[in-house]
Amino acid sequence: MNALLTSAVAGLTAGGTYALLGVCAVFTYRLVAVVNFTGAAIGTAGTFVLIALFEAGFPVWPSVLAGVAAGTGVGVLIGFIMTRWFGEASASTKAAVTVALLVGIIAVGLRLTGGQHPHNMPELFPGSAFRMAGVEVTIASVLTIGLAALFTVLADLFLNNTKVGLNLRALADRPMAAELLGIRVQLLSLLVWGMTGAFTTFALMIIAPQRSPNFMTLSLLVVPALAAALVGLFRSFWRTLAGGIALGVIEGMASSVDSISQYRSAIPFLVVLAVLLWSQREARWDEAR
Amino acid sequence: MQWKSSLLIAAFAGLSLSAMAGTASAAGPTCKDGTIKVGAVSTITGPADFSEVPKATKAAFDAVNAAGGIGGCKIDYTIADDKADPAVAAQAARDLIDNKEAVALVGSGSLLDCAVNSATYSRKKILSVQGLGVDAACFSSPNVSPVNVGPYTLSTAMAYYATNQLKSEKLCAFFIIIGGTQEAYKKAIENWEKISGKKIHLIDLTLPFQGDLTPYVIKARDAGCDAVLTNQVEPQVVQLIKTVDAQKITGINWLFLAPGYTEQVASALADTKQPIYVGTEWEPFTEKGSPANAQWVADMQKAGRPLTAFSQGGYLAAQLFLKVVASIDGEVTRESVTKALHDMQPITNPLSGSAYVFGTAKVHSPMQATKVMKLEKGAWTVETPEWVVLPQVK
Repeated sequence: MNALLTSAVAGLTAGGTYALLGVCAVFTYRLVAVVNFTGAAIGTAGTFVLIALFEAGFPVWPSVLAGVAAGTGVGVLIGFIMTRWFGEASASTKAAVTVALLVGIIAVGLRLTGGQHPHNMPELFPGSAFRMAGVEVTIASVLTIGLAALFTVLADLFLNNTKVGLNLRALADRPMAAELLGIRVQLLSLLVWGMTGAFTTFALMIIAPQRSPNFMTLSLLVVPALAAALVGLFRSFWRTLAGGIALGVIEGMASSVDSISQYRSAIPFLVVLAVLLWSQREARWDEAR
Repeated sequence: MQWKSSLLIAAFAGLSLSAMAGTASAAGPTCKDGTIKVGAVSTITGPADFSEVPKATKAAFDAVNAAGGIGGCKIDYTIADDKADPAVAAQAARDLIDNKEAVALVGSGSLLDCAVNSATYSRKKILSVQGLGVDAACFSSPNVSPVNVGPYTLSTAMAYYATNQLKSEKLCAFFIIIGGTQEAYKKAIENWEKISGKKIHLIDLTLPFQGDLTPYVIKARDAGCDAVLTNQVEPQVVQLIKTVDAQKITGINWLFLAPGYTEQVASALADTKQPIYVGTEWEPFTEKGSPANAQWVADMQKAGRPLTAFSQGGYLAAQLFLKVVASIDGEVTRESVTKALHDMQPITNPLSGSAYVFGTAKVHSPMQATKVMKLEKGAWTVETPEWVVLPQVK
């Protein structure tokens, strides 16, 4: 039992990561109606700008700023592609386009960053916050969970209580109608892409030192993140937050049980499957009524 | 005096015949159109880049060609890229064997060449002096004999080093299992158990290729491991040690295999105080001044190639192959090369701790020695100046 608790706490680090990226995915979906597979890759691109500058001998925090700026830029660029050419496309087409973009970004990123070779990643927030059940809970993982929670609160407030938020929701639901009403669709969309780009970049900068520091691994963090977003059915920020943390904790616990630990990387897929089946069941119910 | 002169003629004839035979045996290898065709199937593009292996083989062959070739024969070397794609790998091998008429494969380094092509090699009776055996099939096929120690023998050797020299009492092993490597890693640990007479304290075959490693390092600590052996590759080595540092774990020796032995890993882990050991496949490549590396360094610099561990493998494969070809009397064909490799005596080379032999065994793993490097303040230092040679498994 104790071992299970220990490994559950050990899973918090991963959980915070999934939650943070998951919340960003929901944010993008609710505001620009794109299931964004490139989320983590955008952040990874910005993170590697930080790494390149740091390795070239620049001081850390100015490099962080440059990296966040680069991540924002990549986010805006992807946003431009999505709004310019796929603004009126169906949700599934948009998702497919982001998958294609993800593959492209990974291919280019792997080439530019020297493939699987590890890099010297500066730890922005080193050290551990406290010890729990025999596990050092690092400042970075507390920070990721904290940021995920903060982003959840802010996103909720922003969407429900501000005019811009309202406009953005209108834009996501009916872009054409929103444009006719005089909402500056293109600009607002790019703003959202840039914001999430900046945010995921900063998130990945915190996370990267604890993960395998290469382009592909970091970009593929989007899979558990989207699983978390699916727990929130791409609507609820709070459920996504909880889903992300739960995913990490379940993964952590799974690694302490020998018989299932070899399948632990499949856990996000099982969660996706379970949520899909659950939501389908509700749809059936609605039809029956 | 008729009979005397005819006897003389006969004697002369006999003498010249034997002299001709003498010239024939001193002539060594010959070739039909002035070339000996050799190929390699390597992963160059795709998820991994092993191109340094065949490129170093090519550099070694180019040097021989520039000096007039081997017995006047130039080596015509073709490197085929398998793109880590089984279909492309199969096609590349068939092209080298049927169209290019290669006499042997030398200096291949690939993620899947052995697994995909070893049956073809057996069928076509062609042998591969593998520059870098990666997948398990490279060490379990009658037609492939790698010049590297390989991950499985190296696992046994590092475990042997942990118990023998680091005096580890509770050795734990964590392995990433990709494809059909599970049995090979299990066997590696079993071999160590037979050699050392000890039992593995904990073996975990579920290490993820990507994902958080915190639960695993906690597991190692809570199980009381005093040494942990893993087969992780470059970026994961860095991740693992960073996670260990974040968890403030001390008192465990961390043992890795050759993929962890790179300058990038050393610089990425410059700040850690963890005791980190890696096993090398050959003479440590970072020891540029070592006499064993001298010839390799000179030849690579002349060819303008970087000094990497991979290039040692390709270079070594070329040197061993050249020696075997030089021993052939008569035409160098696929048949004569295969026969020469089957019949060869073990050849030593300062780059490796074991003598290389192909032979006719069903499986080949001729390299049984490693040198151990320790990471200290961002640089690799030689921990074992003498080779750690695995004793025979009883």
